[in-house]
Amino acid sequence: MSESANPAQPAVPTPFLLRRLHSLAGLLPIGAFVIMHLTTNASVVWGELGKGGVETYQHEVNFIHSMPLLLLIEIFGLWLPIAFHSILGFYYAFTGTSNVKHYGYGANWRYALQRFTGYFGFIFILYHVATLRWGWTWLPFSSGFDAHMAASTTAQAIRGGMDPTALAGFLIGALYLVGVLALVYHLANGLWTFAITWGITVSEGAQRRWGFACTGFGLAMAAVGTMAFVGFVTLDIEAAQQTESQMHAEVVNADTPAINELADNDNNNTTHQR
Amino acid sequence: MTTATQSKARTIRFKIKRSDGPGKPSYWQTFNVPVNKGEGANVISCLQYIAANPITADGTATTPVAWKAGCLEEVCGACTMVINGKVRQSCSCMMDTVAPNEGDTITLEPMRKFPVVRDLFVDRARLFESLKRVKAWVPTDNLWDLGAGPIETPEQHEVRYKLSECMSCGCCMDACPQFHKIEDDAKWQNAFIGAAPISQVRYFNLHETGATLKTERLNEMAAKGGISDCGNAQNCVKHCPKSIPLTESIAAVGRDTTIHAVKQFFTGK
Repeated sequence: MSESANPAQPAVPTPFLLRRLHSLAGLLPIGAFVIMHLTTNASVVWGELGKGGVETYQHEVNFIHSMPLLLLIEIFGLWLPIAFHSILGFYYAFTGTSNVKHYGYGANWRYALQRFTGYFGFIFILYHVATLRWGWTWLPFSSGFDAHMAASTTAQAIRGGMDPTALAGFLIGALYLVGVLALVYHLANGLWTFAITWGITVSEGAQRRWGFACTGFGLAMAAVGTMAFVGFVTLDIEAAQQTESQMHAEVVNADTPAINELADNDNNNTTHQR
Repeated sequence: MTTATQSKARTIRFKIKRSDGPGKPSYWQTFNVPVNKGEGANVISCLQYIAANPITADGTATTPVAWKAGCLEEVCGACTMVINGKVRQSCSCMMDTVAPNEGDTITLEPMRKFPVVRDLFVDRARLFESLKRVKAWVPTDNLWDLGAGPIETPEQHEVRYKLSECMSCGCCMDACPQFHKIEDDAKWQNAFIGAAPISQVRYFNLHETGATLKTERLNEMAAKGGISDCGNAQNCVKHCPKSIPLTESIAAVGRDTTIHAVKQFFTGK
């Protein structure tokens, strides 16, 4: 009681506030973004199955890149929240010691798995963002992302970079598939514990029912993520490049002549023509 | 035991993790204990046999194994220990159920999360300190007559009676991956409090007079080592010998703490 009367003390204890912000950040914005990101990726297999996918995906990417202040959205809406959730998450995870060896129950395994997928998912996100967004292509088996050549460069990256070997392709492909599935688990199970943490599901029945809902959500997201993965792995990269160049040219030609010229130079000099 | 017929008798091997005192290294010893079917032998009666016959299975004389027991009917929690890898009361661990055959082995270890005093005897003082942390009582000390107590509906009674059955045995804490053994009692205050005291917060906040201390209890829940340290592994509810819905209590107190914190955020008190 005396704490709240003291103006030097925050009204809500800081450790508690950080905990709840950590919990909230996992859902908003990170969880919401993951849902959007995976469904956007899956658009590569939408349309006339295998034909319209490249166009649909390119269209989605163009929309995202047309957003105003995209970099600020990325920094404050994604990178900082993810860093916050990860760093605190590592700290919180280290306060626990898994005991599935003695108590091998489902919920206890999910507890352990939530922490493991957190560690693994963080490494995956770091590699993924560093190579495809920050262009750290010096990282092993990697290549960058080009927003004008969205599907082809994504497919290239997932297959192990510009000069893929069988090993690189397998390693990076596995990293992406396992990474996505791990994060989907982390999100679905996180939704389940979120409801307990905030006191939304109190009774055992409510927790069980919400568990079914989260399982369904997780399976659906896993299907969406896997669909996108298969779409990029099986993509005809050369055909995709042609479609993308064509789309880019249409956009460029629709603009003013001056920009047209600049863009043409750009087209000739950079990665757009492979 | 001598009057028992041969067909009813069997020998059970007890593998016991022992330690000669606080901070002393642990070691394992095995004892053979004769048991008769249908005579209600439990871990305590077998430990009594070992105390009377402190000779290991290989014939070496040793010190009697120390343990603690109280009620012998699973309502005091004193005899809690780790049996075959899982925490439970040893008085209600019946030999005819867990070791029905000749030569069956029972493994006994002291509780993992409480400081060992000797052998299977642990110091559970932290449990009492935890109850003090959450003010697990109804404040009735006054100089005037408080009158009749509050009327409780059967529905309230049903919820609270179950919560009142907690005997502070520590099973929920021993099975919890977020609860750790701490020898230094100065560090108990900021360490995770565990499921039982959280359930007691719910229990006493549901009581009309007990609720006078609700704010203080929820402040403790919002403090370091409170409700947020729960990782939802839910081992606690699986190992509560009284089947108290501990995970429901954790969620209910989580809800109350959320509401409490939102109020604090906007009103400052």
